[in-house]
Parts: sequence; structure tokens; C-alpha cells
Amino acid sequence: MDTQSYMPVPPGIGMEENYFSLDDILLSHERLPCKTECSFPRLGFLEKSSDTRDIPEGSKMEMPLWLAKGLYEKKRRVLSVELPKVYRGGWRTVFGADPTVVDLHKMGPYYYGLGSQMLHFDSPENPEIAQIVLQTFIGRFRRTMDSSQNAYNEDTSALVERLDCLERSLFKAGQSGLNGFQQWEKGRSSHLTASSLVINYRKRKITDLQA
Amino acid sequence: MDAAEVEFLAEKEIVEIIPNFSLDKIYLIGGDLGPFNPGLPVEVPVWLALNLKQRHKCRIIPPEWMDTEKLEEIREQERKLDTFTPIPSPYYMELTKLLLNHAADNIPKADDIRTLVKDIWDTRMAKLRLSADSFISQQEAHAQLDNLTLMEINTTRSFLLNSLNYMYKLRKNLQPTRTHDY
Repeated sequence: MDTQSYMPVPPGIGMEENYFSLDDILLSHERLPCKTECSFPRLGFLEKSSDTRDIPEGSKMEMPLWLAKGLYEKKRRVLSVELPKVYRGGWRTVFGADPTVVDLHKMGPYYYGLGSQMLHFDSPENPEIAQIVLQTFIGRFRRTMDSSQNAYNEDTSALVERLDCLERSLFKAGQSGLNGFQQWEKGRSSHLTASSLVINYRKRKITDLQA
Repeated sequence: MDAAEVEFLAEKEIVEIIPNFSLDKIYLIGGDLGPFNPGLPVEVPVWLALNLKQRHKCRIIPPEWMDTEKLEEIREQERKLDTFTPIPSPYYMELTKLLLNHAADNIPKADDIRTLVKDIWDTRMAKLRLSADSFISQQEAHAQLDNLTLMEINTTRSFLLNSLNYMYKLRKNLQPTRTHDY
């Protein structure tokens, strides 16, 4: 039975993030190339390359997403964020041509999540980014479905290698459905097995103690 | 939902048996189970039939659709049409497995029936995947699939629901966002 005492919070796909979701927390650590629009006084020690006391205006830095989101403001006084290269025009045409051949894990394991978060930064290419993320998902769906529903009892690491994290969770859902059905068909679903804790703990029996 | 839970629901289906004991009518909460007389067929739910069979108290009569010719006809029709054909019992997969595991001696040509039902299942699952794929690739909001059984739905439920959720949220990105007023 699927009784879990721990129900993981799913990632909030789209423009919201779930505060408690582990996937979203890891996602917000992705770094984005940014340019400062005003100077940050007395924070020069953060910028290892220059030895000035404060970070001057217009310096290029890499910031994690959570910091960039917090500092970004519509009137653009503080920060301007550039798109990572995966979401720019060149790569967009690659994804448009054939989404299935791309190794999405290498392109940043959170392609869909990060793509959705980039829409917060009001770049003029926002509609195209949203469109290409959606189209990539649709294009790769068939392959994910086929591989998850047909790989029973074999090593799936080669199949999962090129998938992004969101697709991996889908793959796992498909596998669990398939495995559940196959177990049931073999009659193993009501098979009682000793818990691994009991076997490993090697409880002493009362007869051994008395002897 | 587990496959085991679907099997539990399937055990409510009615099947005919021939008991070899006698008992008066019994009154259960779910309904009455008719008087049992040795040698006379009586209709009972599958859970009772399997229990009696394991205790060697009855002989199970296979349901009328569990016959090689009928199943071959259904298999051919399933292969010809693109949509799902109506099948004789909404729990065909579970009943096949239960009856063939416990009462194979009462069912003629048990192995052929097992193979035929497996073929029908494979064809239907392939059609289900094809329609799920076209559903997603054309970004439809609504699909209607007739004549699906609970077991088939249960196997693909989590995958299909999650992917539709993700697709919905990615589609919401396309719409212009509200401005945040802090």
C-alpha cells in the first residue's frame, strides 16, 4: 500500500513557487547573470575580482535566483537580469525544431521551473519564452510516456539521463503505476515481507537470552 | 488507488457456482444470498465463490464471456477499431486473474483465455496511450473516452493527471500577468 508518513510538497510550476517544496528550493539556487544598475556601497568584499570598497554601477555578477527575485524591481533601480543562454533566440529555434534530442538535464536540471521564473523579470521576450517552454514540454511528452510505461524491471538510468527534473517526477509516476500493476498481476501485492529494520536489527529472542 | 483496491472492488461481481453442501438463505447487509442446495446452481459474489472454492465446497462456472471464441471476436474488433469497444464485464482483467488462479480446473482452455485477455489488454493500453498523446499534443481541454475499465484508468492515472497539471500551469504562463502591488 502506498501509505507514506511524509507527503512531499510538489513544486509550484508556473510563476509561483511553493515555499516548502524541496524542488523549488533547489531551483532557486540556480545562478543568473545580472548587471547592477546602481552601486552597492561597502559590499565590495563580495566581488572577489575587484578590490574596491563598494560594488560600482554596471558591474556584471552572477546571482542566485532567490536573490535576484528579491532585488528586482519594476522601476529597475537595482538590478537587470539577462536571460541565460538556454532561453535565448538561438536555443529557442533548436527547441522548436526538435525538442526530443536535447539533453535537458545538462541545460540546467530545472529547465521548466527556471523558464517559468524568468517571466518575473519582465524581459521583452517573455511571450516567446513561455511559448517555447510549453512547446518543449509537449514535444517531449510522448517519449517520456513511452519510456516510463514500457521499462519494467530494467535499469532506467540511461532513459532518465536526458530528462529535466519535472520530467523525472513524471517518469517516476508512470513507473510506479506500471510496477503496481505488474506486481498485482504476479500476485505479489499482498505478499507480506519482514521489514528491513527487523532483519537488520537482529532482535535477540527471549530463548537466546535465557539459554 | 492500488491495483489491489481495484481487485477488491471487482470481487463484488456476481458469478454462478454449484455448491456441494446445503445451507438456508443467509441475510447479509449487502443483500441476501439464496439457499444453497448441492448440485443446483446459485449466484454469489466472487469473494464468496473464491472462498468456497478454496475450501473445496463448490465448483465455479465461468461467466459466459470467458470463452475462447467470444474473446477472439472481441480481440479482432478491438484491433480493427480506433475507439474502445464495449467489453462484456467492467472488471474483465481482475476476474480473469482471480478465476484462473483459483479455479483453473473449472474453466476450459484456461491458458488460451489468459493469452487472449492479455492481448486485449495490450491493445487497449496502446490505444489509451495514443489518445493521451494526441490529447496533450493538441492541447485539448476535454476528452471523452468510452468503455474504459477501472484497471486501465488506474494504471495511467497518476502519470496523466500530473502531466496535465504541469501543462495547465505552463499554459497559464502565456497569459499576461497581473502587476504586483506591494
